[in-house]
Amino acid sequence: MQAKVNPVGEPLQYADVNRDVIRSLTQTGRRYYIALATAFGLTIVCFFFPWFYQLYYGLGAAGMNHPGVWGTYLANFIFWIGLSHSGTLLSCVLHLTNSTWRKAMYRSAEAMTLFSLMVAATFVMVHVGRPWFIHWALPYSNQMELWPNFRSPLLFDVMAIATYLTGSSIFIYMGSIPDFAAARDRTAGWRHHMYVLLSMGWRGTDKEWHRLGWAYTFLAVLIIPLAVSVHSIVSWDFAMSLVPALHQTIFAPYFVVGAIYSGTAGIVTVMFVLRKSMNFEQYITEVHFDNLGKLLLALSLMWTYINIVELFTGWYSGTSAEHEALKFKLFGYYALLYWEMILFCAVAPLLLISTRFRTSLVPMLILSIAINIGMYTERFLIVATSLSRQYLPDAWGLYVPSLVEISILVGSLAMFVTLFLVFVKIFPSVSMYEVKETMGAPGREFSEKGTEPWPKTQ
Amino acid sequence: MAENAVGLFARPELALSAAEELVDAGFTATELMSPVPVEGVEEVLGRNKSAIKRFTFFGCIFGACFGFSLAAGTAVLYLHPTGGRPIITVPPFLIITYEMGILFGILATVIGFFISARLPAMSDRVYVPEASVDKFVVTVPCSNREEFDRAEGILRNADAEEIRAIGEVL
Amino acid sequence: MSLLDQWRQSWEKYSKPGYYDEFDYAWTMSIDLDKCTGCEACMTACQAENNLPNVGEDEFAQGREIKWIRIERYWVGEYPNIKLGFIPMMCQHCDAAPCETVCPVSATYHNQDGLNTQIYNRCIGTRACAVYCPYEVRYFNFTTHHWDAPLEQQLNPDVTVREKGVMEKCTFCIQRIRQAKDRAKDDGRRRVRDGEVQPACVQTCPSQALVFGDRKDPDSQVSQMIAMEKSRAYRVLEALNTSPSVVYLKKVDDDAS
Repeated sequence: MQAKVNPVGEPLQYADVNRDVIRSLTQTGRRYYIALATAFGLTIVCFFFPWFYQLYYGLGAAGMNHPGVWGTYLANFIFWIGLSHSGTLLSCVLHLTNSTWRKAMYRSAEAMTLFSLMVAATFVMVHVGRPWFIHWALPYSNQMELWPNFRSPLLFDVMAIATYLTGSSIFIYMGSIPDFAAARDRTAGWRHHMYVLLSMGWRGTDKEWHRLGWAYTFLAVLIIPLAVSVHSIVSWDFAMSLVPALHQTIFAPYFVVGAIYSGTAGIVTVMFVLRKSMNFEQYITEVHFDNLGKLLLALSLMWTYINIVELFTGWYSGTSAEHEALKFKLFGYYALLYWEMILFCAVAPLLLISTRFRTSLVPMLILSIAINIGMYTERFLIVATSLSRQYLPDAWGLYVPSLVEISILVGSLAMFVTLFLVFVKIFPSVSMYEVKETMGAPGREFSEKGTEPWPKTQ
Repeated sequence: MAENAVGLFARPELALSAAEELVDAGFTATELMSPVPVEGVEEVLGRNKSAIKRFTFFGCIFGACFGFSLAAGTAVLYLHPTGGRPIITVPPFLIITYEMGILFGILATVIGFFISARLPAMSDRVYVPEASVDKFVVTVPCSNREEFDRAEGILRNADAEEIRAIGEVL
Repeated sequence: MSLLDQWRQSWEKYSKPGYYDEFDYAWTMSIDLDKCTGCEACMTACQAENNLPNVGEDEFAQGREIKWIRIERYWVGEYPNIKLGFIPMMCQHCDAAPCETVCPVSATYHNQDGLNTQIYNRCIGTRACAVYCPYEVRYFNFTTHHWDAPLEQQLNPDVTVREKGVMEKCTFCIQRIRQAKDRAKDDGRRRVRDGEVQPACVQTCPSQALVFGDRKDPDSQVSQMIAMEKSRAYRVLEALNTSPSVVYLKKVDDDAS
């Protein structure tokens, strides 16, 4: 690997990092505005209009029926929460293990977490039959003296996601304070005022760095068990039911592994797009894709293993209900989707064994999108196939999503892109001070592997 | 007059050695501003172990107590028998306890950070914008001319790129 | 009493399973499958009594009909020895109901009569209870239903009409139970007599396959039915430990040896 160079060909300096990243904040081309307008327009047309129609007409606008009372809205909810898992969780784990390759990309990964969580939260409102009463699920004292039912898995969900949303926002904000200070010094007008407020008067003194380092480490230590617990709790919405295909103890690890898996694939996609559109080729390199690819491979193998275990224990149990559910999953109405999921999530990622594949960027992009399509199918199948085949054969049924649901799915993707596009113009999307840490001291040769220790004073 | 002697350095080890000399010469309120955290600065400038971990710990404990009392207390206040389970069901309430413990731990850590780092800065403090780009900056508050000259001399000996005087801040 | 003592007392009282030491009445239904002809009169009666909507042809084709009691039909055997079995299936009012624990807003709970009640006003429509019910007897209002004139004249004024977004299910005609209990109280605080309250389906069944009563009373018809026919009595999906309050009496099979 060559040393990083600036456009003039000299080794990259600290000042170049500031210049590049802050330029990405302030310079906005026409392409950006077109992208933002498209994403926002699609959000309004594909998400909000069908949702308002559904609010007026009732949940009948979706394709759900009896017994398929849960449908794509819940699958979307779980998909977006799964996507949120990689950003913050990965960032925290890699921070605690002192990895260097995380430094350039973790800010955008954490942003991905935050916005996925926000989109997932909107799906709660879309999914529920009477969303105008959704506030009853929150614990607040009221004149009815009613409290939510804390025994309910859905309520663990509310608590866990509220905590995760708070934790993720705080985490990304704390990590960005020094960068806000750098942006404050180089911008003018309304941006300058915004960064003055956001940076809280950060000066970069040794005391402030010391405190920030400790606070950040503690936050990372707290957020890792939090992230694991959040998706376990989401899985328990299903696993605590009595539905034969859902009532399994493997669900908590299954969902957590699946979430990190789809989230990491999401990071690969976002990194590719960011690198291309913001000209961050110096900061997001093949090393990052290589490492993410190795992580994806490990997660893919784990995911495959868990699926095999699920199939095996279902078959081994010998109960007619579970056999029927398994048969339906593999060979029934949704069989094509099941095998597509296996192809995209278990078979295709085996390509990641080859280093050449991992370091070629466009194939990685295609694979990451395929993995996410496969993982979305997995969430959809968990909801649709298990509700179709329960204990009483008279109540078996089929669920087909309606146009409103598909449109809302597309709209949610557009909403995520809109939020992300707004993010890249407010937050520095590459962490300046962490990249400088990987660059070694100014005036020195750039070291690809990471920092060389500065010599101790005499 | 009170002025701050400010020395800009291009390399962190130079700034660190200058800070060490200043502390040895009696300027205990020396600060080192940098765009990245500098290794070894804690030994030189003597920052104590953070108080943040106390915030985090007590925040988690408080959150856990809050979570369990929220769940169990509201269950007892409004008796609502479901599913043949007891009114105070421990396994679900432990999950609420856990989540609230982490939530308050996170909030307490943030509050602890702001308090112990003395942020947000409510008044002007000595600062040079180069400190957020690529210079390592040592600042020394001086209460009279003689101290200022002494500090300036030490900074000059330590190969400072630039020395400035920023007035009447501390 | 000090706060700590209060807490300790609460803990001792409330950490045991269940809440009621015993029910006021333990309403139970026994269904004799030998007598059931599958005529679906119970379904019609339930629809009339509880303001069940006619969802219309399109919604029915999508599978959104609302039938608080449904006749499940099972074919047994191969042609030409095919037998047909009917099981009326309605809310089993389980004592360990899985649907009650999962509602996030506490819209369903177990009352002092052993009934699983649904509070329409509190329901926000998460539909988790429908997923958690292994008997799949909970139904969701996907739209607000309308009764064309003059059909709205036949609505039962004792029962609410549910709006869209709300779950509903069989209530053992709780409005009739409440009326019977009120009448009993007015008559001088006696207990409700056996046979005084009958849900609509029980009242209508032409072959009297459905029997309803209080299983706490050993002299009630339903208790005697269960005691007499003990060899035929079973509960659906008993192995799931839901403790349902509906007892089925197996059909007598003439051909079986």
